Amino acid sequence: MARQLQELGFKVFVIAGGLRAWRKAGHAVERVPHDDVFKLPTFS
Amino acid sequence: MNMNDLLSLISHHGYLFLAVVCFAEAIGLPLPAALALLTAGAVAAYGDLHFYLVFGVALLAMIGGDVILYFMGRVSGWALLGILCRLSANPETCILRSAEYFYRRGKQTLLFAKFIPGINTMSPPLAGSMKMRLGNFLQFDALGAAFYVGAYSAAGYLFSDALRAITHGLRSAGSAAEVVFAIGLAAYVVYRIWVYRKYRLLDVTPRIQAAELAKRLASDAAHNMLIADVRSHGYYDADSERIAGSIRIEPNNLVEEVKNLPKDREIYLYCT
Repeated sequence: MARQLQELGFKVFVIAGGLRAWRKAGHAVERVPHDDVFKLPTFS
Repeated sequence: MNMNDLLSLISHHGYLFLAVVCFAEAIGLPLPAALALLTAGAVAAYGDLHFYLVFGVALLAMIGGDVILYFMGRVSGWALLGILCRLSANPETCILRSAEYFYRRGKQTLLFAKFIPGINTMSPPLAGSMKMRLGNFLQFDALGAAFYVGAYSAAGYLFSDALRAITHGLRSAGSAAEVVFAIGLAAYVVYRIWVYRKYRLLDVTPRIQAAELAKRLASDAAHNMLIADVRSHGYYDADSERIAGSIRIEPNNLVEEVKNLPKDREIYLYCT
């Protein structure tokens, strides 16, 4: 995905370790807005 | 490996060879299980193997491989999918296409996934990463594996005479068929190496540590930064959290999403 954005001319960085590393370092997180939540099939 | 080699191997090593090939294909190794099943079915028709044992052994081997990938998907999430897609022409597209396929058709995907190259190996880890219940997975996966094993072994059994004629034809064609096979295989290997190198060489996206990013966000440069959550759907359900102030970029809808992205700002991507 990062590569695709780069190819389109965007200046892109990847956060090493992702959300897990960010949270582990004690930085601020917030609840995902309701409108952004994608309802997953549960397969049950 | 041609049909004659397979006939010889299956005649001599029978069920064990079949089990190894089916298991290997199920865990994502590029071995021709369909061809082995077809051949085993034909060998069963000659009377050297028992058809029901061919079916049972192949089915168990395939389910065994699928269960391993299911649990690995359950533990590792999409990391395993990344590894399985590593050798595909476009790893990102490979993951997203497989996931989209699964999302659209749900657990029914497992019933016919084995017949679709690319989706076959991805389905068990996808089911695992989406926390499908084991009992439910086994039910659908076993049915799908039974269709696959049954279709190819039955075809081999029913058309054993035609397969025998083909192998005799290959023999009479002498080494020509083997040369063509070898050239094809060599071209395929070169292509895979080219694809792998191409994507490795392009893999130059700069990375930033969480601490460094937090520093930048606290500086004057913050207004020029955009943090984007690009997690897969599997990790983007109710009650989840994200980096404060980040926006969502939907990976499956990138073409539309990029239209709203500013090119004059630095974009920091993250997933799980």
